[in-house]
Amino acid sequence: MIITVTPNPAVNKIYWVDKLKVGSKTQDEFLTRATRSATSASGKGVNISIFLAGMGVENVAMGFISGHAGHLLINDLRDKGVTTNFCWTSGETCTNVTIIERGKEHIPIQIDESGSGVTTTEIERFIRRYKRALSRASWVILGGDLPPGVDDKFYYRLTELAKEKGIKVVVNATGQPLTQALSAAPYLVKPDLRESRIWDEMILDTEEHIISAGKRVIAMGVDTMLISHKVAGDILVTAAGVWEVKARVEMSQLHHLIGADDVFLGGMVYKLQAGENVEEALKFSMAAGTLYAKHGASVCREQEKIEQEMSIITLEQLEGSQ
Amino acid sequence: MKVRDIMTKDLTSIEKEMSVKELVFILNNSGKTSVPVVDAEEKLIGFISEADIIKAALPGYFELLNGVGFIPDMNQLSKKLAQIEDDAIEKYMQREVVWVYDDDDDLQVADLMIRKNIRTIPVIDHESHLVGVVTRINLVRQLL
Repeated sequence: MIITVTPNPAVNKIYWVDKLKVGSKTQDEFLTRATRSATSASGKGVNISIFLAGMGVENVAMGFISGHAGHLLINDLRDKGVTTNFCWTSGETCTNVTIIERGKEHIPIQIDESGSGVTTTEIERFIRRYKRALSRASWVILGGDLPPGVDDKFYYRLTELAKEKGIKVVVNATGQPLTQALSAAPYLVKPDLRESRIWDEMILDTEEHIISAGKRVIAMGVDTMLISHKVAGDILVTAAGVWEVKARVEMSQLHHLIGADDVFLGGMVYKLQAGENVEEALKFSMAAGTLYAKHGASVCREQEKIEQEMSIITLEQLEGSQ
Repeated sequence: MKVRDIMTKDLTSIEKEMSVKELVFILNNSGKTSVPVVDAEEKLIGFISEADIIKAALPGYFELLNGVGFIPDMNQLSKKLAQIEDDAIEKYMQREVVWVYDDDDDLQVADLMIRKNIRTIPVIDHESHLVGVVTRINLVRQLL
């Protein structure tokens, strides 16, 4: 069984608009009507849970939730076939807003709430629940930022607990929570570079910098480091070599970039937990992420369509023996 | 139809060492009226509902009177609840639990619910791990 942990999940409200009106003076000028909207559970681990459930993989979504938005989130996950095991807290789960303007789909506007605080008692209640869940887990995926009140060593602690039981851990985060987690040597690491390409004093912009950062992380005991290079290109570093995977796709074809990265990582875990090699897993995951970015959630969970999409994926080994 | 196809796939549960106060917090926030009790490996060992807590806070002759008219005011109930809030729920949980396997038939669950007048039944796998709960509304929704 796979466990995903999203400490700070959210309800994502997406509005599609023809033209976003800003800076106007009269109501007529500043009122923007959405052509359509959608509400769904979101958050790094949550998105991966939804993808895996769609692919028929049993998984359990964990984290902290609260209030009205918490109920919305949990109901959406259950409707999508995900088993839920969240820790209820006081406060209110985040609601994030995304605005997608016609013609600018590849640069959506996103407003994220920080989330309600979590108390020490609630954290310890979660840890007890997490330990119980580990008794039947094979993979754990830790994803996203931490809510106020949760210290930076949280992912380190969760990684340690899982590794004590021989469970493979994936960490998809940024800043200090990710840096701290590295000391526990998770199996796979993917820095979240949406807000900044600087992580732990490393600038992850060029191919050279990315490979150098990847090697530094692998030297710390991490098995696999996956780093986003371009919108439709990622670099993977292991002790055995370095690969670059790319999708041959026009930017104008990408309409759903929010969450595409999580589908990509979900695709990696889907293949790796089934025993596939890293090259196959990379091509499949890039195909799944690209399909999601092009068409949204519904089609990216169809194995056949993902495999068809693999025809536009190229994989190049940059270093290491063939 | 199998139970796994209709159940609510939620693992909200409690350990027997947790307090009545924590249970009330979980029930209040999650909107549930009962939760399964599990051990350290998430195996089902009991069940507890809000009714079990209310029963614990009321005098023993409450069931005989079948009403609250004998209680002079709510302070009495409030005092009693405050007295038991730190107690471990182990003291009040149901140990004889009605459960079903995830591969049991829906008809079997319907029969149990009607015969035993139960609203929520924990669902386990063949290793006794909790995998969800099945409620009356799960069944009704399926029949519509």
